[in-house]
Amino acid sequence: MSLFKSRRKKKTRRDVHIEQMAAIVGPDEILFEKEDLLSYDCDGFTVHKAMPKAVVFPKNTEEVAALVKYCAAHDLPFLARGAGTGLSGGAIPLNGEVIISLGKMKNLLHVDFENRQAVVQPGFVNLKLTNSISSKGYYYAPDPSSQYVCTIGGNVAENAGGAHCLKYGVTTNHILGLEVVLPNGEVIEISEDGIPDSPGYDLMGLLTGSEGTLGIVTKITVRILKNPEGKQTVLAYFDNVEDGSRAVSGIISAGIVPAALEMMDKTAIEGVEAGTFPVGHPKDIEALLLIEVDGIAAGIDEQIEQILEVCKSRNVREVKVAESEEERGKWWANRKTGFGAMGAISPDYLVQDGVIPRSRLPEVLQRITEISEESGLRIANIFHAGDGNLHPLILFDSRIPGETEKALEAGTACLKACADVGGSITGEHGVGIEKKEEMRFIFTDEELDAQTRIREVFNPEDLLNKGKLFPTPSRCMDIKTIVKDTVAVK
Amino acid sequence: MAKSLAAQLEEAAPPCAEASPSNYLLKDHPDENKWADCVHCGMCLESCPTYLETGKEQHSPRGRVHLIKSVAEGQISVNEQFADPVFQCLDCRACTTACPADVDVGGLIEEARGQVRQALPLKGWKGAVSGFFLKGLFPHPNRMQTVGSFLKLYQKSGLQSAVRKTGALKIMPPHLADMEAIMPEIKQPVQKKFKDYKFVPAEGQTKARVAMLTGCIMDVMFSDINESTINVLTHNGNDVEIPKKQTCCGALHVHAGDRDMGRKLAKQNIEAFEDDEKVVVNAAGCGCALKEYPELFKDDPVWKEKAEVFSEKVQDISKYLYDTGYEKPKSEINKKITYHDACHLAHGQGVRHEPRQLLNDIPGVEYTEMANSDTCCGSAGIYNITNPEMAGAVLDRKMEHVPEEVEMISMGNPGCMLQMAMGVQKHGRRSEIVHTVQLLDWAYQKDKKAMESTTGKG
Repeated sequence: MSLFKSRRKKKTRRDVHIEQMAAIVGPDEILFEKEDLLSYDCDGFTVHKAMPKAVVFPKNTEEVAALVKYCAAHDLPFLARGAGTGLSGGAIPLNGEVIISLGKMKNLLHVDFENRQAVVQPGFVNLKLTNSISSKGYYYAPDPSSQYVCTIGGNVAENAGGAHCLKYGVTTNHILGLEVVLPNGEVIEISEDGIPDSPGYDLMGLLTGSEGTLGIVTKITVRILKNPEGKQTVLAYFDNVEDGSRAVSGIISAGIVPAALEMMDKTAIEGVEAGTFPVGHPKDIEALLLIEVDGIAAGIDEQIEQILEVCKSRNVREVKVAESEEERGKWWANRKTGFGAMGAISPDYLVQDGVIPRSRLPEVLQRITEISEESGLRIANIFHAGDGNLHPLILFDSRIPGETEKALEAGTACLKACADVGGSITGEHGVGIEKKEEMRFIFTDEELDAQTRIREVFNPEDLLNKGKLFPTPSRCMDIKTIVKDTVAVK
Repeated sequence: MAKSLAAQLEEAAPPCAEASPSNYLLKDHPDENKWADCVHCGMCLESCPTYLETGKEQHSPRGRVHLIKSVAEGQISVNEQFADPVFQCLDCRACTTACPADVDVGGLIEEARGQVRQALPLKGWKGAVSGFFLKGLFPHPNRMQTVGSFLKLYQKSGLQSAVRKTGALKIMPPHLADMEAIMPEIKQPVQKKFKDYKFVPAEGQTKARVAMLTGCIMDVMFSDINESTINVLTHNGNDVEIPKKQTCCGALHVHAGDRDMGRKLAKQNIEAFEDDEKVVVNAAGCGCALKEYPELFKDDPVWKEKAEVFSEKVQDISKYLYDTGYEKPKSEINKKITYHDACHLAHGQGVRHEPRQLLNDIPGVEYTEMANSDTCCGSAGIYNITNPEMAGAVLDRKMEHVPEEVEMISMGNPGCMLQMAMGVQKHGRRSEIVHTVQLLDWAYQKDKKAMESTTGKG
């Protein structure tokens, strides 16, 4: 009973597929009107947008399987979506897909402290796992910056990394078992009781990071870790990027494996300081490093001493150790909300995700500066310096005609620069739509073909998340080039 | 090749297509600069009570911003389907706190509601009921006082207990019956009590002079809190003026999309407090609305400037006391207390530490922090009347976090107080709901009594 409630009762002609899928999940758990679908036309990658046919919200594995079977039987393209924070467009319904949202499957099913593992549903939020077990002294290590909202299912699909993956490894190193709905609707369990290293091919490794092209994960067994005994965090300000980069190499080559080793450049600092979680970094520095060491309490002070030494030998302007958990928390909130904070200084951004050998950091950063100058677009750098995982954030305004294309071109150029020094085009954000063309920078046609054939084993009809991960000539930029070429030939 | 190229071009059309003209056809539409800050990162999702409840992105902050932007881009129009997510929003501003880029989602929602209500006015009995409360009642202090007198009569005459005994409440919608059950005892409004005062003088030496917003509902339903506010202010050396021309702050009107009425009330208040240097408010929702008056006058430079000057003067009572200093009471209040952050105090005005400090300065208080203390209780102005189901679900979630053992839950907003009282009743708890400033007042009263008895003896 409600007084003012303006409930709409719009009689829309529903197509038969909508009716049938509604019968599987229930009438309130399907969206199909344009206004409701709009929120699902992109994820954290906003350059491309496309409307889904419908969004469905299954509550359990059986419903997911039933939906997948229905889609497969009726030739309906479909894909899975978690919190939609992905940065490469993996959850964008390019082909008018039925989106299977796993947002309602968000429970922590079981925690086994004795065997240090937890079982979660795919829609369970990353940070919630740590929050649920921290009182017992445990945590879940992979910590993508979006961990406040992103789901573990999405983390598995993208093989997500994070600031602390330098020491602890990315998602794939923390997955012990998976329940997966295959593209034909069949449900399989991989390593059911979380027993590691089962014989045969490493299917878990193959599925983790497959970007939702091989199956839909419906249950995940993850490793949980005991909180480190000690932890110290250092903030270092540099007057030039080169000194900062050399300090990064210096720390690693001194034999220290920090839990995290992050870098931000001047433009990035401008962004985070204009955002919601400013720290008060000086405005005129060129680079900062955020360094964390953890582990057995005994060795930590010594490591911090060494880190301070390295920074000093690289002309650090100021370097300090966090004096309280509160201060440490402030530094991390500032860093982890860095991408979103770009909104405070630019209407749009495109984030790239190249990986390079650490020793090449200064020259690649120099090349990115040149790309920025050539394109006329500002580029901020916030990145996991310790593992050479760059995140150039290309700032642009999509309302200005041509700027989106310019940003895409600059992004491609950044990835080319990474590939040219022997690096890779993605560290943790995935390929999705965004970088599928750039796959050609690091793979030959034969290699791409071999990978496509693996996909065909699982997903022969290519109904699940079609058009992602591997190159096809479908980006508007490419088409423009094709049009230009075609016109020129005429 | 030609065919596939054409097909590809069509596929690629959306990102390359030129923006269509805006479908906001009326003045005072949502401000483009507000949504330009949103980069769709999704960091707001888990902060949003309606997203947590529904799991659907059109009911999330970034989903709503996306919809508001889509109307401006001409993709959808201002229709019922657009109105639903825009009006399901609690306007709790938790997303503003979570947002790395400080996107003003609340401001956008209020502007969008203005468009919806202009394009789709509430008709029939809904329009009549809304008009009765928002236009006919809240803006008129005299009528509010009359309603207050009736309610007082209802309680005092024994009619209330008769109604409760006979089960007459069962014919009311359940959520309204729930509200009747927690109706506070109606007392005399301070506007009436201090009618003949130019100002209520400070005890002892005057340190400062402040004006006080009495609020429309506050002064009828919670006049004892207004009295406590005056007591605490005068006790700490403030002359307290109660301008007679003041009116309802307009928050509920702006929340409901009636921005014209909001502007009218804003102008009246700006003028009523023109000569005052400080405007102290004890209701978080009202304080936040007063501070946001400039938003209402984007297209009116003269009033915008006046509104800016005015909004600078507005301060929540807890922040005012914290900033200007207050006497720490000596008497003990031996209670286990927790604190609930009203959305429009924590997210809306950034006031979090001050009320907690106030509580901790009262001897005897055993303070326990509530988990997720700054998530909405579901009151959200009159949201609990307009969207009872969602409000109830949000309240249930809130009650899960209230520590079992607390005897009192303190807060700084009348809407929250009613809602939390309902939560306590519904969940069979025994905690008493209090306004932070009441506790301080009670401690001072105890001090005075102690002083009287010692001087009496002496």
